[in-house]
Amino acid sequence: MVSKEVEKLLLKVQKPGRYVGGELNEVIKDKNSVDVRFAFCFPDTYEVGMSHLGMKILYSQFNNEDYIWCERVFAPWIDMEKEMIENNIPLYALESGDPVSEFDFIGFTLQYELSYTNMLNMLKLSGVPIKSCDRHDLKQIVVAGGPCACNPEPIAEFVDLFFIGEGEEVDLEVIDLFRKCRKEGKSKTEFLQLCSQIEGVYVPSFYEVSYNEDDTIKSFTPKNNAPSVVHKRLIKDMNSSFYPDNFVVPLIEIVHDRAVQEIFRGCIRGCRFCQAGFIYRPVREKSPETINAQCKALCENTGYDEVSLSSLSSSDYSQIVLLLEKLNEWSKDEKVSISLPSLRVDGFTDEIMDKIKTVRKSGLTFAPEAGSQRMRDVINKNVLEKELLATCETAFNGGWTTVKLYFMIGLPTETMEDVEAIVKLGQAVVDTYYKCPNRTKGRSVKVTVSASSFVPKPFTPFQWEPQDTIEQLHEKQSHIKECITTKKIQFNYHDADTSFLEAVFARGDRKLCKVMELACERGFHFDGWNDCFSLEKWLELFDECGIDPAFYANRRRSFDEILPWDHIDYGVNKSYLINECKRAYENTTTPHCRLKCNNCGAAKYGEGVCFEKRKNMV
Amino acid sequence: MKNARIWFKKDLECRYISHLDLNRCMLRALHKSKLPVWHTEGFNPHPFATFPLPLSLGFRGINECMDVKLEADNYSFEEIISKLNACLPKGIQVFDVTEPSMKAGKIAFAKFSIKLSCDKINSSTIAEKLSEFLSLEKIEFEKKSKKGIKTVDINQGIKTFQIEEKFDFVTLNVVLSAGSSDNVNPNLIVSAFENYLQLPVYADITRIDLYNSDMELFR
Ligand code: SF4
Repeated sequence: MVSKEVEKLLLKVQKPGRYVGGELNEVIKDKNSVDVRFAFCFPDTYEVGMSHLGMKILYSQFNNEDYIWCERVFAPWIDMEKEMIENNIPLYALESGDPVSEFDFIGFTLQYELSYTNMLNMLKLSGVPIKSCDRHDLKQIVVAGGPCACNPEPIAEFVDLFFIGEGEEVDLEVIDLFRKCRKEGKSKTEFLQLCSQIEGVYVPSFYEVSYNEDDTIKSFTPKNNAPSVVHKRLIKDMNSSFYPDNFVVPLIEIVHDRAVQEIFRGCIRGCRFCQAGFIYRPVREKSPETINAQCKALCENTGYDEVSLSSLSSSDYSQIVLLLEKLNEWSKDEKVSISLPSLRVDGFTDEIMDKIKTVRKSGLTFAPEAGSQRMRDVINKNVLEKELLATCETAFNGGWTTVKLYFMIGLPTETMEDVEAIVKLGQAVVDTYYKCPNRTKGRSVKVTVSASSFVPKPFTPFQWEPQDTIEQLHEKQSHIKECITTKKIQFNYHDADTSFLEAVFARGDRKLCKVMELACERGFHFDGWNDCFSLEKWLELFDECGIDPAFYANRRRSFDEILPWDHIDYGVNKSYLINECKRAYENTTTPHCRLKCNNCGAAKYGEGVCFEKRKNMV
Repeated sequence: MKNARIWFKKDLECRYISHLDLNRCMLRALHKSKLPVWHTEGFNPHPFATFPLPLSLGFRGINECMDVKLEADNYSFEEIISKLNACLPKGIQVFDVTEPSMKAGKIAFAKFSIKLSCDKINSSTIAEKLSEFLSLEKIEFEKKSKKGIKTVDINQGIKTFQIEEKFDFVTLNVVLSAGSSDNVNPNLIVSAFENYLQLPVYADITRIDLYNSDMELFR
């Protein structure tokens, strides 16, 4: 719904379709016949937010309840933001066009740290006080979830409550509790107090932090009866858990414009840099029957002719071949193509390739993550060079001519030799192409080598590690550039400045709240976008607040330091992470969950891969 | 195979999508409806549809059309309408299906209704200025294209017009040259009028109908 006032702005901005709603399958309810109104905010543009699976799941699930009306809100791009401010138009939800400030819940999904300023900016554009303590009534409850909620501290003063872990169950429990509390006339504090007793809810205002002289944390003290450790929530049975049979189908082109089918959660691998690989433990799969039925319904209801099988590593799905067979039974007749992203280097077999022939030959993407075998052992990326080359051979003989390889630089223990190995590996892939007898004749190969900068994340074995300084990262980037001698290799790299800021926020503590507040006041937004990001301006802010960002990004923490997120539990024991970190320094790999259980702690949930029978067990 | 011309309106939120988006939206609806529409061949087969005259982003259209080829005869036009509408957003709704009687290339004129309003002046002033403006001998406007800036005389492209003054806006009903050769986009008139007034105006533009060179309704 678009108001008359907004209508007048829309023709002045780029892509006005972002701001109007009205898509197929959008949910419209009568606001007078629902008890709770939930504004689901994605702190980025429409095109990015609408591509996000988690939002689709929760939108459907909330709206499935008669008493809730969940609507979508995205961050207006800078041109629209300017028009809205100039014309005094507050941020509104797409479905009703009503101002966000009228909602009971204002929920954010936090997928990346650089969207924090967008979250605050969206509150500001809504005219809602950004700090939790300035919102007194039982309305405008600001909640947040998503992977960044695993270290909520840098935004602790703004959010009333965080959902820790998977949201499908706990979100509804909180919304239902809200409905009851309002009927009973309870206060916001009373409501939050009851919430804090629910597993998977973290109410930051119920904890007091004290610091040591050296700025590290001394203690974390719960009050108002809040638990001393907050445990994550997790969906035990993926087959019976809610999955939408319908997506809102955007009118304009978005980043991932297709049906998405989740096939499992978690990852068996345990790459040591990967936060997702630890916080979603243990692996829990959906059955091929469930996936097949859900895929079919989704395609039928949306009209999409492409469905993407989503997981952290699709070839690790235990019955992948059987699943693809099932999908092929109907997808061809329905003219639906199946795509399988996140393939591992060792998962791209002839058999799988045959079954996904219907996928556009746009290019293959693999993530060896590091160039040298030593480095890959350090990060526990159990991929051998010969496996990668064999996979590329399969692909080249199958007609592919472009390969994208993702790497990281700045990994713990990395030397310049390890950095050079990235280029060597790229060159080996080029050489492989010309050795393939069945390669596409007359075409040259294109290998894209993409290097991002390593950002140490909470709940990984590298959570204690210092990040390389920006200078070190630049040096490594230029070294790669110098080493490349062929035009067949194209080198891309991420901006080290943004990685640095990401590292500060990722492992920050509550002292950063004041920097965030000031950033919001100064109108910072879209830090994830080159158009807006300026490290210089951020450094000025840190300076003004008397905070040294290097303390968070570039400092090595000791194993016995209290970390800002130590009161949160994602199922993996700290002792396990410490052990994994030590093994990294010994260049020792750890077998994945299907080969051997390494007792990380996640078996306590009583589900998933921890209880599978292992084939090769002695 | 039977040619079918599908008539629809583009309105509400859908007025803010581009022709490319509309195209994608229609293809998806055709796919979802499972109607026996002829598909392109090749690696990624998709329903084949053409649009006799694309509509710009921002405009409403009440008599828009799209051409498809039907592979089977066992569908009534009513059935096509209801099946497609179930697959389309509410801003795009089909209301008729016909057998095309004119080729797309025959389109020579388009009729628009342009609602004009301005915060700074009232509607009688707008109406007055508008008739002054439209009776100018030449309405020159700098048109930016890939080849650079060229000055065009919009007046040449205006076949007929009529001004209606309403309470808080003015409606300009205008027939403009349309089609592949001498297309005049009504936005040009609005921009030229803004230049003339030296004030920003808000224009709500609806395409009403298409015609051939003899001013016969395009069907
Ligand atoms: S308990 Fe064992 S099987 Fe389960 S997630 Fe941890 S390491 Fe893997």
